[in-house]
Amino acid sequence: MARSGRSGQKSGARRVTLGILIFGALALIVAQSAPQISNFFVPARTTISDRIGASADTSLWAQISGQAEREQRIRQLENEVRDLARYKAAAISMAERMEAYESILNLMGEPPERGVTARITTVIDGPFAQTVLANAGSLQGVVPGAVALNEGGLVGRVIQLGDRSSRILLVSNYQSQLPVLGEVSGVRAIMQGKDRDRGVLKDLPEAADFIEGERVLSSGEGGAFPRGLVVGTVTRQGSDWLVKLAMREHASGYVRMIAPPEIVEPLPELEVPEVPEVPVVPEGGAPAAGPAAPAASAAQGAR
Amino acid sequence: MASGNRKRRTLWSQSGPSPRLIFGAAIIAIVGVLGMTPKAFFGIPLAWPFAALWGAIGWGRAGLSLRPMLLLVAFGLMQDIVSNAPLGCFAMINLLVYGLSAGIADQTDGMRDTLVAVVGPAVLLVVAFLLVWGFASITIDHLVRAWPLLTCFITTGLVYAFGNGMFDLGRRPGESPGGS
Repeated sequence: MARSGRSGQKSGARRVTLGILIFGALALIVAQSAPQISNFFVPARTTISDRIGASADTSLWAQISGQAEREQRIRQLENEVRDLARYKAAAISMAERMEAYESILNLMGEPPERGVTARITTVIDGPFAQTVLANAGSLQGVVPGAVALNEGGLVGRVIQLGDRSSRILLVSNYQSQLPVLGEVSGVRAIMQGKDRDRGVLKDLPEAADFIEGERVLSSGEGGAFPRGLVVGTVTRQGSDWLVKLAMREHASGYVRMIAPPEIVEPLPELEVPEVPEVPVVPEGGAPAAGPAAPAASAAQGAR
Repeated sequence: MASGNRKRRTLWSQSGPSPRLIFGAAIIAIVGVLGMTPKAFFGIPLAWPFAALWGAIGWGRAGLSLRPMLLLVAFGLMQDIVSNAPLGCFAMINLLVYGLSAGIADQTDGMRDTLVAVVGPAVLLVVAFLLVWGFASITIDHLVRAWPLLTCFITTGLVYAFGNGMFDLGRRPGESPGGS
């Protein structure tokens, strides 16, 4: 009897423990609705992401068998292919940009972007957010909000930055809103993530329409992404315009992260320094209201 | 005749709950780590299972115990970080499924009935699916697509159907070997 009583007590204690743990987890979730508390966990998340995302060292066996050397050569060749693909994408976007520049005289071209190429170590297509984790962070020169590209085109934007890792929110994510334009038609719209491989175009103008199969580029509006990056090709499905994402067609497991466009804030309106009133002193007399006085009062009125 | 009826004693059948718990946790950790890499089979993206749910369902069958709870919390927090979910979300789902599994086992006398053994995990997976889907929808302010998530849960269920023995702790916590 005593034994069964003790067993019942233990069982009760375990139930209470389970209840406390579940309640604690729920409290943790609810507490994160406050940005201050949510931000408190960001360093912990980035630290663990660093651990997950950091590349593993080459094993001894790989060095002995020569596998490491072969893999290094493959990586070099892949880098070259990636560079060439980047130049191809750059050429397409430059042609579009050039057209815009030609219509504006005396406009200087933009310098090519410098970036960091990183390997994708973790892919999350989960229900919460479509993100990937790349094994380069602030120590390698990635900056917050950096734009990620692969051989196909635009991949996404860095939303969390660790020392050795970056979490990239994909353009295919539902909450991703990307201003785009048709390469041929020039029609502008907002692309929203639909599923893993496609996006849907919203806020289309009523007067114009996209051309089936044309390439869609980032328009650069909003300042989060540079103008002219390849996003995908447009197709019609019923009344909707969908974008087949180019990043999925050439995914090799690497991304290039470039600095986001810098938008210089306009200077505040120049304040006109106050002109001190200069009293007109007539020869050998006290200051008197001369012809300058009405001019000064008129200037004050104008201000 | 006697030798025919005698059960074959394997290393697994002789091992206690602790080694089995460690083995199950290792399986979950390995599957979880592999799940973080890009997953495609001849170009087809694979629906990766929620491995921690195997532990929650399997370990729950032996009744409530502290060590599985702590392991499930740890796995849940890792899942939260990897999938960019709010911290505590998967920990709570794992614990709820674990508690429900223990409750079902308690009510059905350790799931000796085949029907209960099949329906129980299926119900638990449906509950887990609804919880994950609900949490994800609430977190990102719109109803998330159910099909990709459902495929992951189908994979979880199918793998559990074949490998549930790996998450069987053998006896209830505190129960002596061979004791009732």
